[in-house]
Parts: sequence; C-alpha cells; structure tokens
Amino acid sequence: MNLTLATRDYRTTLILTGLSLCLIVATLFSLSVGAVSIPVKDVAVILLQKLGLFRSVTIEGMHEIVLSSIRLPRIVMTILIGASLGVSGSALQALFRNPLVEPSLIGVSGGSASAVVMVIVFGSALPLPVNGWLYHSLLQLVAFGGGMLATFIVLELSSQLGKTNIAILILTGVALNALAGAVIGLAIFYADENQLRTFTFWTLGDLGGATWEKLSFAAPLLVTACAGLLYFAPSLNLFSLGEAEAYHTGVNVESTKRRIIIFAALAVGISVSLSGIIGFVGLVVPHVIRVSFHSDNRLVLPASVLGGALLLVLADVIARTVVSPSELPIGVVTALIGAPFFIGLLMNAKRKHEL
Amino acid sequence: MYQASHLSYRVREKILLHDVSLAIVPGQFTAVVGPNGAGKSTLLKTMALEHSGYHGDIVINGKAAKAYSSRELSFVRAVLPQNTTVQFAFTVEQIVALGRHGYRSSRKENEAIVDEVMALTGTDVFRARSYLTLSGGEKQRVQLARVLVQVWEETLYPRYVLLDEPTSSLDIAQQQYIFSLAKKICERNIGVMAIVHDLNQAVLFADHLYFLREGKLVASGAAQEVFTKPIIEETFCCRVNVYRDPCNNCPYVIPEREAFAPPHSLVIEK
Repeated sequence: MNLTLATRDYRTTLILTGLSLCLIVATLFSLSVGAVSIPVKDVAVILLQKLGLFRSVTIEGMHEIVLSSIRLPRIVMTILIGASLGVSGSALQALFRNPLVEPSLIGVSGGSASAVVMVIVFGSALPLPVNGWLYHSLLQLVAFGGGMLATFIVLELSSQLGKTNIAILILTGVALNALAGAVIGLAIFYADENQLRTFTFWTLGDLGGATWEKLSFAAPLLVTACAGLLYFAPSLNLFSLGEAEAYHTGVNVESTKRRIIIFAALAVGISVSLSGIIGFVGLVVPHVIRVSFHSDNRLVLPASVLGGALLLVLADVIARTVVSPSELPIGVVTALIGAPFFIGLLMNAKRKHEL
Repeated sequence: MYQASHLSYRVREKILLHDVSLAIVPGQFTAVVGPNGAGKSTLLKTMALEHSGYHGDIVINGKAAKAYSSRELSFVRAVLPQNTTVQFAFTVEQIVALGRHGYRSSRKENEAIVDEVMALTGTDVFRARSYLTLSGGEKQRVQLARVLVQVWEETLYPRYVLLDEPTSSLDIAQQQYIFSLAKKICERNIGVMAIVHDLNQAVLFADHLYFLREGKLVASGAAQEVFTKPIIEETFCCRVNVYRDPCNNCPYVIPEREAFAPPHSLVIEK
C-alpha cells in the first residue's frame, strides 16, 4: 500500500462523505421512530417543506407538529452535542498526547455540572429569572464558566517549569472530578423533591428537554467551538510529536494550547448545560476513527464531528425505543456501548505495548 | 551566522550554563562534546529558544532571535530533539510531511520536497508504514528527514539545523550514515550544530569543536586543533591517549584501561 499524500487527501474526502451519508440516514431514521411512527418518506417531505421546497404535498398535521416541535429540536441538539463531544475528545487527546484523555477527565464536565447544579438548587435564593430564554442562557454561561474554571485549575496545577505534566494533569483531573461529584451530591442533599428528579439528568445525561428556545443560544456557540477546534487540526498533528517539536516547527505553542482548551471547554460546557454529562462519546469516537483509518488530525477531527453525532443519534434511538414509552438515560446507553469497547481498546494497547 | 554570545542560564540556584559563546557557521558542521550533565542539551535548547529565561544574546542572520516569531524561526532553524515519542499511529510519510507545517506552499511543492528528502535519508522504502513499528535507527532517520524537510528549500538566507545526540543508541553504520548526511547538507547553505557523544565521530565529521563541562566552555576551535589529550582529559576528567588515523587523516582517542577516579570527582566546589 504505497499511498501518496494526494491519494490520502482523496481518501479523507471519501471517508468524510461516507460518514455524512451515514449521519443523514441515521437522522432520518431517528426522526421517524418513536411513540408516533412517522414514515421516513413523510419525514423527508416535511423537512423539504421546511426548506421551502415541495409545497404541494399535504402531510398529516399531527406528524408535522411532533416532528417540528419535539423531534427536530431534539435531533439538532443530539447532533450538536455528539459532534462537540467527539471533536473535543479528539482535540484534547492530540493536545495532551494521551489516547486516554476525554473531556470529563480534565475536569470540564464535572466543573460544568457542579456549577449548574449549584445554581439550580441554591439559585432560588438569588433574584434570578426562573424560566425562559434568559434562564437557559444563564445556565449555559454558568456551565461554560464552571467547565473553564475547572480546566484552568487542572492545567495550572499540572504545569511544571512551563510545561504540562500529563501524569499530574490526569491525577488532578480525577481529584477535581471527585470534588465535583461531592458538590453535586451536596446540592442534591439540600435539594427539594422536584430538584431531586433532575439528579439523573446531570449524572447520566438526558436529551429529552430540547427546545428551539434553548438551542437559539447554545447552537451558535457549539458550532463556533467545533469550527474553532477544526481550525487547529494541522497544528494538533505537531503536538503529537511533543510541545517542543511543535514549537520548533513554527507553532505558537502556548497560545494554541490555550485556545484549544477554551474551545473544548466551551463545547463540553455548553453540551453539559443542555444534556448533563454524557460519557464515553469523547473518548471512544476518536479512537474508532484512528483505529479504522489513520491518525492524521486533519481526518480525525472532522471525522469525530460526524462520528460523535452519528454515535449519539444511534444511542438516542436505542434509549428512546428499548423501553418505550419510557426512556433510558442516554449516558446508560453510551456507557453500555462505550465501556466494553474501552476495555477492548486497553487490552489492544497492552498487547501492542503502547501503554 | 547563528551566534550565541555570553549565554548564561540558571534554574533557581543551579547554574546550568555560564558565559557560553558559540557560533554556527553556514556550510559548516559544529559539534559540542562534553560529559553527561555538562549542559549540552540545555545549551541546544537555549539556542533553539525553547525557553526564555536565559541571559546573553542570540542573533540569527543578523537579527535578534527574540524578534522572530515562532513561525519565522521555523523557516531558519530546525531542531532534532534527543528523542521524540509519537503517541498515535502516524505513517512515516505523515511524520516527515509535518516539517512543512509553517509553509504556505502548494501540495505539489511540499510533496516534491518530502520525496527528495525521504529518498536521501533512505526512509522512502517504508514511507507507508506506521511510525510506531519502526526500529530505533529507522525512527531516528524519519525524525531527521522531518527536520531536514523544514529547512530544505534553497533560500537567500542561510538555514540551521540543531541536532541533539542524533546518533545515540545507534550502531556504527547508522551513525556514519547520519553524520555523513549532516555533513552533506551543509553544502545547501545550512549550518549544522550537533551534540555528539562519540568523540571519534565528532572529530571525524565536525569542522568546529566545542568542549563543554559544568556549563562552561573548556575549549573551542577548529576540530583537529583542539582535539588534544590535555583538552579531552580536562573536559572529561579521564586519562586518554590521542593517536592519528592515517586512513582518514584524522586524530582519534582511546581511553586508558585504568580509571584514576570516579567520573566527575574533580568537581570544583563553588
């Protein structure tokens, strides 16, 4: 197999196109299944109508309402969150040169979740709006702030002579996650009956509460964060050699590193504020891409955007249908798929002596 | 010229470099030798501007090194660190092509340069293999190719390559290959500085030799002139004899069988 760089570019396009097609098919499928089954054909027609095409055909009114007010915002949110988690995971793995890093490991998710839970439980004492657009925007800002704060604490504690010590980074991440767990637990302890029910939301994730209202603020931020991370894909290739090597090859290491971490914290923080902590997507998706194709981040990052979205859309279909009309927490499904896969990865790495 | 004058560097109380001046001349091979812990790698990292806490001046092609951006620096100098570990399964060709990161040149130009350097370093035969599966010598040649790709293009200004023990843990044939390659690239208006552990290789290939001990220069000059028994003995605190190899017309060194003291026991208390 003697591929030149040109054929590899061609292959990258091919892989990304294939993944996009899979995502489109999965999306249409996900939109059609549920309590009310809508034929895929009708889904496509409604979507085309929304885009201003295909006006003549009439579709059952009920289907259109279910689709446009429940399933469409949910699928948009699922895709955005899956994409954000996937791309942040692959960016952070490349940045820290560690295949076992995932967004929650460096404290982003824990920081976001504990900040949001604190605001929900103790925020009632403050003169804050309790519902509506402003409230959701506030929660998202808090989630982002909490995630950033946790990440910077972890980074600051793990910096040694101006460089990031990966072992300390991961251990402080573990410590901070434990702390975040305690903060969430404490908030739950003081929570009332009603707030208690949201507990599973923050620890296992929930894609149920999607509304266009929430998305109007979050979606542009998530898209910005993903685009920002994609921009750094070529520089991340150099980080795979080491920070000094990246610097020698012309990368402004410190500013690049900081920007990548801010974009990742933004992506994960906002995701957590929308859906709680959803584990394993950010860890597993980049690995699947690397194992199946190759490690060039110019492929891994965009493919993680698509792959993360694809995985979460499929997991959501399973979560919604297996115990219908009830719903499994999405984190249960991703962990059920992710955990055995992760163990498999570890065993594989062990066999190859890569750890 | 890549000129470092009166470099000093300390971390807390520990003096790692003290008043070291060194010049890399385009078209010439400059080697730095010295015992373990003498500050050779620190000197190379300081000259590569990996950290900024040093005193003294570094001037590259007439312009203060601190005035260069990291991208501008990448056009004038490339650095081969002592060992580079790669975590993910990149192919050999992908690793080499990383050296072109800072350039905005077309894919065709990049490919031409990558191909030329890979042929020269003999890495083209395993270009599609995963870097993780290579042997130590192969990995080192791939990293050298990556570094060369970065400064390969002929430019109006001279370029520089800094190599930190490029042949450590390599066999004699791999060593010879890498040093003769480093010597050959000097013809492209490139100045090479290398930290070299093997004294005989150093004098065989280098135009200039710098002897470093405890962060200070012991001696420096034209390689064959400073490669003498007293200078080597003073630098390494070890009894040696220097002979002349008529074949290469070059001196070489053999240590005496009996060590008269443990290494570094002559450390002068400050």
